[in-house]
Amino acid sequence: MSEKAILFDATKCMGCRACQVACKQWNELEGENTTNRGTYENPPDLSSKTWVKMEFREIQRGQQISWLFTRRACMHCTEAACVKVCPTKALYRHELGFVAYDKDLCSGCGYCVDFCPFRVPRSKRDLVSGIAKMEKDTFCIDRVTTGYEPACVKTCPPSALKFGDRSQLLTEGRVRVQDLKAKGYTNAYLYGDKELGGLHVMYVLNDSPEVYGLPVKPQVPTMATAWQNVIQPLGWILGSLTILGLGLNYLIAREAKLTRELPGKKEK
Amino acid sequence: MEREVERYRKPTRILHWIHAGAFVVLFITGLILFIPPLGFLAQDSWTRVLHRLAAAVFIVAPLIYVPLNWKATLRGIKDAFSWGIEDMGWAIAAPRYYFLCDEKSMPPQEHMNTGQKLWWLMVIVFGIIFVITGLIMWFFKEIAPAALLQWMVLIHDIAFIVTASMFFLHIYLSVIHPLMRPLRTGAWSSMARGKVSAEYAKSHHGKWYEKISKGEGAKSS
Repeated sequence: MSEKAILFDATKCMGCRACQVACKQWNELEGENTTNRGTYENPPDLSSKTWVKMEFREIQRGQQISWLFTRRACMHCTEAACVKVCPTKALYRHELGFVAYDKDLCSGCGYCVDFCPFRVPRSKRDLVSGIAKMEKDTFCIDRVTTGYEPACVKTCPPSALKFGDRSQLLTEGRVRVQDLKAKGYTNAYLYGDKELGGLHVMYVLNDSPEVYGLPVKPQVPTMATAWQNVIQPLGWILGSLTILGLGLNYLIAREAKLTRELPGKKEK
Repeated sequence: MEREVERYRKPTRILHWIHAGAFVVLFITGLILFIPPLGFLAQDSWTRVLHRLAAAVFIVAPLIYVPLNWKATLRGIKDAFSWGIEDMGWAIAAPRYYFLCDEKSMPPQEHMNTGQKLWWLMVIVFGIIFVITGLIMWFFKEIAPAALLQWMVLIHDIAFIVTASMFFLHIYLSVIHPLMRPLRTGAWSSMARGKVSAEYAKSHHGKWYEKISKGEGAKSS
């Protein structure tokens, strides 16, 4: 099956946050108790019960103020740091491209929380016992695998969110960016085309990613690579060599000890 | 009955075995995270809860021991950091001793021989590293910057690899190595009963035996 993706066109988004509501409804996530912080943006951050959230930015362009909308949710990376560091393999890449997880398998270690370059996975943990479960956007795995689009896409009134084959959406996104450039948005950019081996949530932006608060060159943290590709294999090698060496020593030393003792015994 | 000398007092032996027990639990519950097919054992956090329980024992046991046995503690710490040219003598003799069982090649040793001292020093240093990195991951998970937590995971892991390998070596040299087989003498006897025969002390810890014979106060730990 071909890889699926979501295309978010930030230039079509009207900031209604229906996607946030649809996500909560479909996934039966509790509402957040929040306070008025003097902004329309709410809740303040992603959490174990808020998997998608719109961010609002006001920036000045010449004499004009622009109101920019950034979607914050799992980016479903091809090179996913969370999948790399998950010790129980609860997190995995689904055959449709996105990053899925088996919640039962989650041990609550929180490595995905610490290593995600987009700071997406969250967990609610008990401070003393450490009991926790990771939560994040699931790409509506239950809907997508049965032929429906994710809930946020279904609800989006201006069709700023689209769902489909990744290759098709990629072409569509590139065309959109060309249009925007022609209209004078010279920094227009398709985010997610190349980032981290290709994201499964791509953004059409009318400015550079940093203006939208997105990491310009997101990467699997060096620490994750050092840990998984260098330290852990070295650990297995060191551990096995130690045991092998000790076994070898045992054979040699036992032989040596017997030779030392035998002549003595014979004399008796 | 053969004359015996005391090597480890009761509180020290109790601390050793409690700490060893906690270490084994920490070792196994940590190792699971290295073996993805065993990941199902870690689900719903329960091995992590065990890991924390064992960690609490691992931290609290020495904290109780130290104020009650501060003289032995000071002596132990001093020993761990006393390194000199004599330790080279051990290193040079070690291959002949441990591979060829040539017991005469070994120069006289202190209460701890150089190898034991190295392990003891590692227990102190890596114990502290484990505790600091572990406590940060335990209590500061929600507030510490991600970059710091990434370092903590990495350092905790390196400490695990090094101490786990040395732990195998420790068990091997204590009870499995052909020279250590007689359980009534040597390392096992020291830590299980606290005593070894005077003959053993003389032949394996010559310098220390000389001191205790003269009554210089260099007692057991």
